[in-house]
Amino acid sequence: MPVTDVEPGLQPGTSHVGDPRPDDPRGTAVRVAGRGWAVLAGLGFAAPLIFLVVRVMGDPSGSLAAVGDGRLVGPFARTVLLASLVSVTAAIVGTTTAWLVTRTDLPGVRWWRLALPLPLVIPSFMGTFALLSAFAPGGLFAGVLSSLGVTSVPQLRGLWGSWLVLTLFTYPYVHLVVASRLNQLPPSLEEAARLFGRRPGEVFRSVVLPQLVPAILAGGLLVFLYTVSDYGVVELLRYDVLTRVIYASRLADPLLSLGLSLSLGLLALTVAVLERFSAGRDRIGGDRSVRGLQVPLGGWRGPAVALLAVVVGIALVVPTMVLVGWVVRGWLADSSSLLLDDPGALVAPIWATLRVSVLAAVAATVVVLPISVVATRRRDRVAAAASTVVVAGFALPGLAIALALVFWLRGTPLYRSEVLLVAAYVVHFGAQALRAAEVAVASVPVRIEEASNVLGVSAWRRWRRVDLPLMRPGLLAGAGLVLLSVMKELPATLLLAPNGFETLATRVWNAATDAFWTDAAIASLVLLALSGGLTWILVIRRADAL
Amino acid sequence: MTTARLACCALVLLATLSACSSSGETLVIYSGRSQNLVEPLLNQFAEESGTSIEVNYGDTADMALLLAEEGDATDADVFLAQSPGAVAYVDGLGLLSAVPDDVLDLVPPEFVADDGNWIGVTGRQRVLVYNADLVDEADLPASVDDLVTEPYRGRVAVAPPNGSFQDFVSAMRVERGDGATADWLAGLVANDVATYANNNSIVDAVSRGEIEMGLVNHYYNARFLDENPNLKSVNHRFQDGDIGALVLPSTASVVAGSDQPDAAAAFIEFLLSDDAQQYFAEETFEYPLVAGVPAPSALPPLADQDAPEVDYGELGGDLTGTLDLIRDAGLSS
Repeated sequence: MPVTDVEPGLQPGTSHVGDPRPDDPRGTAVRVAGRGWAVLAGLGFAAPLIFLVVRVMGDPSGSLAAVGDGRLVGPFARTVLLASLVSVTAAIVGTTTAWLVTRTDLPGVRWWRLALPLPLVIPSFMGTFALLSAFAPGGLFAGVLSSLGVTSVPQLRGLWGSWLVLTLFTYPYVHLVVASRLNQLPPSLEEAARLFGRRPGEVFRSVVLPQLVPAILAGGLLVFLYTVSDYGVVELLRYDVLTRVIYASRLADPLLSLGLSLSLGLLALTVAVLERFSAGRDRIGGDRSVRGLQVPLGGWRGPAVALLAVVVGIALVVPTMVLVGWVVRGWLADSSSLLLDDPGALVAPIWATLRVSVLAAVAATVVVLPISVVATRRRDRVAAAASTVVVAGFALPGLAIALALVFWLRGTPLYRSEVLLVAAYVVHFGAQALRAAEVAVASVPVRIEEASNVLGVSAWRRWRRVDLPLMRPGLLAGAGLVLLSVMKELPATLLLAPNGFETLATRVWNAATDAFWTDAAIASLVLLALSGGLTWILVIRRADAL
Repeated sequence: MTTARLACCALVLLATLSACSSSGETLVIYSGRSQNLVEPLLNQFAEESGTSIEVNYGDTADMALLLAEEGDATDADVFLAQSPGAVAYVDGLGLLSAVPDDVLDLVPPEFVADDGNWIGVTGRQRVLVYNADLVDEADLPASVDDLVTEPYRGRVAVAPPNGSFQDFVSAMRVERGDGATADWLAGLVANDVATYANNNSIVDAVSRGEIEMGLVNHYYNARFLDENPNLKSVNHRFQDGDIGALVLPSTASVVAGSDQPDAAAAFIEFLLSDDAQQYFAEETFEYPLVAGVPAPSALPPLADQDAPEVDYGELGGDLTGTLDLIRDAGLSS
């Protein structure tokens, strides 16, 4: 839906984003510097792809015959199908929740704002296992459900199960990006539409939604890429997609495994390019001086709260209750637990998790911001290409990213340092910061640049005083996404971290893999609490203050 | 405010950079066995021997890939693995060196690699876990071959992506040949076998009563009962000599590029000490492989079982062939 649906006459006080005058020397310098940065950073982000190409091309022994014999068509098609379905439902859920918490008189709105992003931080294999324990036949909630008259729950399995669970664990990608955009859309258009007698539903559909399209597409793309690279959910729920073939064949036929990882990267590149061309770009500027128009929910309050309760209930509350249940059960049974014996063992993992996730969030935002500025503001093709490469990193399995960095950096002083680990996170999750940053950059009206040029204000001063504050909600949303993703990251952390390094996520995995459920639950709950605290401090409180 | 924050970030970065350590004097262990299983034991070794250790935990297969990618540049001195298959992969790349003979002598020869490049540390037995409320003890099968017969239609679960299930199928290929193994797998599918992701999901499903029984490694149910003693899941051992009662060793190896092979050997010897073997029997419910150390409670010692004889070195030889058989039987989803 192109934004031009909004009648031109209804665009008060904003102007189109476009190139500054071509003869502006400052613009050219910025562009050259931005381009240089885009090329450099783009090479870094392309490192895993180049590694995969080198590997696959370097060994033409024919192990890749499987690619040609049609056996992989099924898994590939299922990957695309699942990722498409999840993107659509996550986009609907995430947009709805974002609108409810930013634009309505929803009761308890601060709590919803805190709870809604959190499902993102639950490691997918843990969350899925908890949901299975809860809802599967004979599970914790089977009794509750049957007392409510529900006797047969459809089995959480296959396409339907994966679709549902992945939607619930990924809608925050859309929610955070869209909410940050909604927070700063100028209310003037909506006011005008209301003055013309449009009902709230119509206003949302004809005025608000078109302005949100770039943000929804950005979030939806992240959901697509996450789903493409996910292994935990599809493995437990038995849906035979490409990542399962990648993991199943990684030892028997490493080359096939890497070749398939490369195909996920290429799929991501294709989808990113398609999205770039279809999206159009945000043309409506941001405005932080006025609060967005609040819609009184009236009779819709009940249904709205019920909807959020179902989403947060299944995605966050049920898994949390299951985890708490495991801790209590283990404590009562005096089961073998490293963490009940020595809770102090969690101090180092908590500090490490905090350190690398904050560092990675900051680093990712700093690295991608220049790319998104040049790609979005200056419409630079080189930067646009770089930004497409950044996006591909998110679709690669963490295992492939890790092995690629081992390949490039083994034997160097950086190898197995925290710097390398943070770099791996940036390469893997930079797409999240980038897509959020592009939405943020596009929301800064060009008239500000023009005005400051006329007034002779230096570019740096304008950046610091005007542009950055305007972009802040979007940049924070992107940094928040990276933060939450890093906190639960496993494959790269396990393979690339310094010797002896542990995070909360690695503790969770170590315990869960051999059924030490008490310890797995304790570490997961601490992870949830920590991410809740960080979300509060870094994302919500700041966003509120704007 | 912004300046303060920047300063903070810079500090963190500096702290990070200065924390990068090299591992000249420390023994670096790549452990495909999880932290919860082995950390207390590793700490005990560090304390008793005065050796400083650093441990990287991860999935055995991922660790094998990491060692392969690192090659000569690896820091690792020791590789602990869950399954002989993954070790065979690393060994095939020439990345392991021989464990000293006096250490190899500590366990029965069938649990030692022909080239001496890995040694078994503990034994994990394949069993059938069943729900005692749903299955009558008299109806339990004597052999895995019973599972493809009519009485077990739709009642049994397997975990095709799991390394131990794959090692078991490889063992069956070694014992019976590919044709017979393919027939057995096809028989499972024809008998409506249920598939799950791994041992954990099978034991979980059996304990909830979602499925009546499933093929797993023996110690998972012991772990589940340790977490929740009220569960109705019980292990059933197949009869002596049946391939279903296969014992899979977890292994230890010295990495070829190790700069301290002596400390590595001393560590492996420690894992085979009576104390350590007893730890495994009591804490992780695994079979000790060193003679004279008692088996986990309620289990007969391995020496008294007529476990199927398999050349474990062959299990990793053709993992691709095993995966092909499993997939061609229709067990991939």
